[in-house]
Formats: sequence, C-alpha cells, structure tokens
Amino acid sequence: MNYPVWQLGFPGGLLIAAVAVLHVFISHFAIGGGAYLVLTERRAYSQNDSELLGYVRHHSKFFALLTVVLGAVTGVGIWFTIGLVSPEATSSLIHTFVWGWAIEWVFFFVEIAAALVYAYHWDTLDRQTHLIVGWIYFVAAWASLVVINGIITYMLTPGRWLETGKFWDGFFNPTYWPSLWIRTAMAVGLAGIFGLVTAMWEPPALRERVVRWAGWWLVLGIAPLLPLSRWYFHDFPSYSRAYFSGMYPQVRHALLGAAVCTGVALALALLFALLRPKVMNPVIVAVLLVAGIGVMGSGEYLREFSRYPYVINSYIYANDIRIGQVESIAASGVARTSPWVEGSAADPRADQRHYGRQLFALECGSCHSVDGYRGMRKFARGWDAKFAGEILLHLPVVRETMPPFAGDAHDRAALGSYLASLAPAIPSGTNDKEIGQQVFAIHCAMCHSVGGRRRPLDLKGTDPEAIAGMLGTLSDINPNMPPFTGTDAEGRALAVYLSNSSQ
Amino acid sequence: MNLPIPYPDPMPLPAPVWLLRTLLLLTFFLHVLFMNCLLGGTAVALVCTVRRKSSAFSVRLAGDLGRLLPSVFAFTITLGVAPLLFLQVMYGQFLYASSILIGVPWLAIIGMVILAYYGVYFFSMNLSTTNRHEKKGRTTVVLALVVLLLASIAFVYSNNFTLMLAPERWLDLYHSHGSGWNLNWSEPSLVPRYLHFVLGALAVSGLGLVVMGLRQQEDAYRQWLIEQGSLLFTGTTLLNFGVGFWFLVKLTGPVRLAFVGGNAFATSLLGVGMLLPLAAVAHLIMAKAHKSPKRQLVVGVSCGLLTVAVMVVMRDVLRNLALAPYFNPNQLPVAPQWGIILLFVVLFIAGLATLYYMLRKVAIATRVQAAAAQKLQ
Repeated sequence: MNYPVWQLGFPGGLLIAAVAVLHVFISHFAIGGGAYLVLTERRAYSQNDSELLGYVRHHSKFFALLTVVLGAVTGVGIWFTIGLVSPEATSSLIHTFVWGWAIEWVFFFVEIAAALVYAYHWDTLDRQTHLIVGWIYFVAAWASLVVINGIITYMLTPGRWLETGKFWDGFFNPTYWPSLWIRTAMAVGLAGIFGLVTAMWEPPALRERVVRWAGWWLVLGIAPLLPLSRWYFHDFPSYSRAYFSGMYPQVRHALLGAAVCTGVALALALLFALLRPKVMNPVIVAVLLVAGIGVMGSGEYLREFSRYPYVINSYIYANDIRIGQVESIAASGVARTSPWVEGSAADPRADQRHYGRQLFALECGSCHSVDGYRGMRKFARGWDAKFAGEILLHLPVVRETMPPFAGDAHDRAALGSYLASLAPAIPSGTNDKEIGQQVFAIHCAMCHSVGGRRRPLDLKGTDPEAIAGMLGTLSDINPNMPPFTGTDAEGRALAVYLSNSSQ
Repeated sequence: MNLPIPYPDPMPLPAPVWLLRTLLLLTFFLHVLFMNCLLGGTAVALVCTVRRKSSAFSVRLAGDLGRLLPSVFAFTITLGVAPLLFLQVMYGQFLYASSILIGVPWLAIIGMVILAYYGVYFFSMNLSTTNRHEKKGRTTVVLALVVLLLASIAFVYSNNFTLMLAPERWLDLYHSHGSGWNLNWSEPSLVPRYLHFVLGALAVSGLGLVVMGLRQQEDAYRQWLIEQGSLLFTGTTLLNFGVGFWFLVKLTGPVRLAFVGGNAFATSLLGVGMLLPLAAVAHLIMAKAHKSPKRQLVVGVSCGLLTVAVMVVMRDVLRNLALAPYFNPNQLPVAPQWGIILLFVVLFIAGLATLYYMLRKVAIATRVQAAAAQKLQ
C-alpha cells in the first residue's frame, strides 16, 4: 500500500525463492567448506601427504571462485530482491536489526578477506599462519550465520519481540537454536558434497582417499538432520504446525522431497563414499548435488510456507501490508490509503476492472499470478463478481495461509469484478449431476471437498430439495460461508450432485 | 499535487542520525575509492592489453592489475554493502520506491556484477597461464565487456540515486511501466552526473597508478607508472571541471542556488571541491620537474583523495537539499540501541585488527620472499 508494486507478471515470492535457494546452497557450503579446507590441510600436514595438500590447494581456488563471487553477490541479490518485492517488511527488518546487519557485515568483510588470503597465499605464508587464516575464515563465516540466522528465524517466530520490541528478544527467538544447528549440519554436509566435486578432478589413488574423507563430512552433516528438524518443528508457531497435518499437498510434496533427497544423499554417501569409494564418479556426485539442492530448497520452502499468511509473523502480512493497517484500509478504502492506485472504486465513472486489476497487483501479486504460478484464472473459473467479492471477505477461512483482504466494499466489488472477468464460464452438461459437479467446483471447492481431506462434505442420500433449501441460508449455517450466487437451476443441480456423491 | 511518497518506517531510528550519517559517508568514501580503482583499473588494463605489442610496460602493468583487481572487486562489493544499509535506514522510503520503479535494471545489477567479477578473474587467471599468446585476443574482449558492464552498473546507480530524489516523476513511470522497465531518462542532471562520477573514477584510478609507481623499486617502470597516472588524473580532472559545471547547471533551481551562494556550507564545499583537485594537479605537474618528487606526489595524491571525500559529502548535501521539501531524517524519532552499537564497535575494531594481522603477515612474507629471490639472483 505504502509502496508501488513491482508487476513482474509472476509472483515476486518466486523470484526471492530462486535467488535465495542459489544463495543458501553456496553460502552454506561457504561455511562448512571453510572448516573442510583447514582440517584437510591439517590432515595433509600431519600425514605428510603432499598429494592431499595439492588437492586442498586446488579446492581452495574453486572454493574462493564459487563463494566469494557467486555466493557473496547472490547474498546481496537477496537483499536487492526482498527490497523490490517486500519493501515494507525489508524496511521493518532493517530498522529492527540494522546493527545485527552491521555486525554481520564486519564478519562478511573479514570472511572475504580471509578467503582471498587463504586461497592465494599458499606459497607466501608459512603453514602455521596459513592454517590460522583458514580458521579466521571459518569463524567469520560461521559467525555471519550466527547473526543472519537470528534475523531469518525472527521472521517465523518473533517470540517475545512482539511484546517488548527489543532486539535480543527478536534475535534469540524460539526457533533460533534448532535452526542454527540445522544450518550448521547442512553446511558440514555441503562441504562434503563439494569436496567430492573437486575430488573428481584428481588421479584415482588420491581421489579414493579424498572421496572417503569427504564422505565422512557428508554423512556427519546428514545424520543429525532428522532429530534437529523435529526439534525445529516442535518450536514452530502452532498455527503453522497445522499446515503439516496433510491438508496442503504442496507441504506434503516438499516434505516428501526433503525426505527422499536426504535418504538418497545418505545412501549414496554410505555406499559410494565410505564403502566403495572407487566407484564414486561424476554422475553420482551430480546426483548428490541435486539432492543437496533438493534438501535445501524444500527446507527453505517449508520454512517460508509455514510463515504464511505473514512475512513477519503476527506483524506484517505476506502481501506487505501491516496487520495494524487492515482495519483502517477497510474503513477508508484503498484509493484513499495508497497513492499508487489510479482511479477510485467509489467513482462510478472509473473503469472498475482496471481499478480491480491494480488491487490484484497490490494485494495478491506477491503470491499469485494470473496464468502462471498460483494462477487466479484457474481458481476463479466461473466465479461471478458478487461471489468473488464475497469470497474476499473470508480469505483467511478459504485458506489459512492467506492474509485478509484490506479494503472497503467498493474495493471488494472492483477486485471481485476483475477476478470474475478472468475466466467466465457457465456450468453445462447433459444431466444435473454433471452440471452440479461444475457448480460445486465453482462455488464450494475453494473450501470443501467431496471425498477429500479438506472440510469434506458428505450429503449422500440427503433429499436434494433439502440441500437446495440450505443453499439459501448458507451464511446462517456458518457466517464464513458466502451466500450461494448461482441460478435456481444451478442450485438444484448442485443439490442433486451432493445428494449422489459420497466420501 | 499529492506526491506518492511512502511514509517512513513507523519504528524509530536505531541510532542517532549523526552516527548513521557518519557511518554512511565513511563507508561510502571507502567504497568509492575501491569502486573507482575497479572501474578505472579495468579500463586501464583494457588499454594496456590493446597496447601490449607496442609497450612492454603496458604488458607489465596489465599483469600487476590482473593480480590486484580481483581483490579490489571483492572490497568494492563488501564496502558497498555498508553504505547501502545505512542509506536504507535513513532514506528507505525513497530508495525502495525508486528501486521498484526501475526494478529490472536495478536487479540486473546483481547479474552484471557476477559476470563482471568472473570476467576480472578470467583476465587475472589468463595472465598466469602458459598459453598467453593464444588467449590474449579473448582477454581483450572479456575486459572490454567487463568495462562495459561496470559502466552500465554505474549508470543504473546514477538512475536510481537521482530518481529517489524526484518523487514528482514516480507516478508517471509507475503507470506507464509498472513492470520496472524504466530508467530516469527525464532527469536533466542524469547524464552530466554520471559522466562526472565516471571521469572522477578514471581520475582516482590515475592516482592509484601513481601510488603503484611510488611503491615500485625499478626506476624506469616507476617513472612510467607515475607519468601515466599523473597524465590520467590531470586529463580527466580538467575535463571534469567542464562536466561538473554542466552538472551544476542541470540541477534544479533551489539546489543549484544553494551551491552558488544560497547555502554557505554547500557553497564552501563546492569551492574546496574545486581548489583541491587543482592543488592535486599542480603538485603532480611540479613533481615532474622535481629531482626527488616523492613529497609532491604524496601531497598531490592526498589532495586527490581529499577531493573524493569532499565530493562524497557534497553528494550527501545535494541529496538532503533535493529532499528538503519532503523530508528531513533529523525529524524521525530515534531510539538508539546503544548496547548493540557498542558490540558493533568492539567487533568492528576486532575485525580491523584481524584484517591488519592477515595483511601484515602477507606483507612480511612477501617481503621476505622478494629478498630471498633477489639474493638468489
């Protein structure tokens, strides 16, 4: 409302996800990989293994090229992207945690300098100093996670901060510790995966030694993930724990993806890194890389999804509207609140659909597109303007993950009219049951299912006349139900469908 | 006319404005020094690779730059993060709005930085590979692309930092291209401002060459570096007087007036900002005729660096003057988080000490190695 909306044509959240997954994948490697470098170097010295030392030298160059450039710059990229997609929330985060970020910047600075000194001064520095620089790198890299983890977890579980507004209350929030250790474990595992990547360039005898060594890192990183995830999940907000009960297919898929990727990575590490390191080859390493991205990607997705309908839990909604603003916008209307919309819903001469489209960008665009990801044309098929306007009154009931609509009756009517214009359709068929099924899809399926997990309706055997009668009093049955806006014929067809369908 | 200026964040500033501004200007000054050396340094490296057949020193300088530029790039980025952070705390509502309006080029900066960064590494690594001859042509092309990318990044920055000062232009841009495919073309001062800063970057990289020369042991190469650096600084600086005047003329009325007598501080800054580079040029020219020119050169370089510092403050004054009709950060509520500020200061000092430790170890080790190599010869 306060800011213009970047109208990308697809949800801005998707852009954040793309940049973020790339960044977290490399940045976690940047942390664990630091420890991997120093410990491998130390191992090479203590075993007097010049080949292993040669490997770690190569690995350090690869490490610096990947982390200092792509890792660091995509980190700045996330910051750019969230500022473009959620400026209100970004501003809030910056105001709450500017000194946290400033401290992270100090670690970032030391980290980058140490990475360059470590990677490019093998021949300049003596062994002891070189190892110390390696440790400086690792400590600074992990310390930057220690800081940023406080800010990321605060967004999901701000804890006591909501009452006190104090920095440390937000920073050391309920999910701080489990998240820190999960990320640390991921960092160790990714150090192992990337250790395998560079091992593939080494001659067979050395490769085998490195594969076994990197394999231990991978196994050590993966092993604690399950208990740590349970601890993490235990501290999730209660509202979002409910999302994991099975009602959201995307959550089920992400959980399955995380489990499969973790299992595959663990199995491959045990089989081809520890037991049969000779067999390890670039294809298996590529599968491990994909599995690593899969684990990180699904983990980040689940964390983000669990935060819905908020971007900062109980403070700012996912569409960048502050919770405290919703009531005032409902009272005064969007046109009087946001300077960025053209026209006004209250003005009968204004183009209502054009105005509605702007509201769509403003309030829905961060999560929904029209035709692509979470595309509304698909969801709004057959909706009439009145029905769409009514639905907007009950968004958090339709989906627990959706923020309430912020606007007055005129705004709802305009957005409703825009949504109804996306995919007008009249239910048709050869008999009442077929037509009724379509009426159900249009008017009921947003909240109910027949034979599904989501608020199932079982009216089999009920007199169709009685069902048709109920359609006139839906809001009396449950105030969260919008009135039925279909024709009488459609109502009768729906009643026939429901009376003949069962779970 | 109602301007669509977002209201500032309802949270109070987590530190007094003077502290935030000091940190903003200090870190931005350091960022600018590295950024200038990066932009100018890659341009110089490009010229050197083109002239490699006619000048042995050019080949050598390209090699020296190839070793330096990846680190310069790293520090340009790390030092750029801090001022952007402090800028967002104080002026976020302006910066976020203008960034969204030019969202596509603004986010493209990230991609361009990554490409340019890898380009610099390509250049750097090719210098140390054995098949030099083969890859020279490719190196020139890559360097040219890097210069182009860096110049484009600078142009997008100029667009955003002028657009954030012009809220009267925002609604038109938003309603014509809400997708973020915009630049701030209708800003009269855009082109002179951009050229002024890019020429300044070339000038500062000239000073960088002088400093490189001062650190050289070998007389002929040392002399050549100082000459080339002084020439680059003098030429671009003199040209920049003209471009600076153009920039001044294109500023909006009240802001321009402030710099030419309307505001004592702004006017004196402009005066000092014009005298300092003249002093720098004079010292660099005098150094040429001097038998032991080190003193003149050091004074010249110092005047040049002071010019950058004055320009950084002037740029901040310009921003505040342009925003004065709408906003003054001094009016924002402040609730300093002193405990965490103290922690930051302690860690910052510890960070600097760690940096000093590492760089000193490298410097000592490099010196020992060079001495050993000389003994062998």
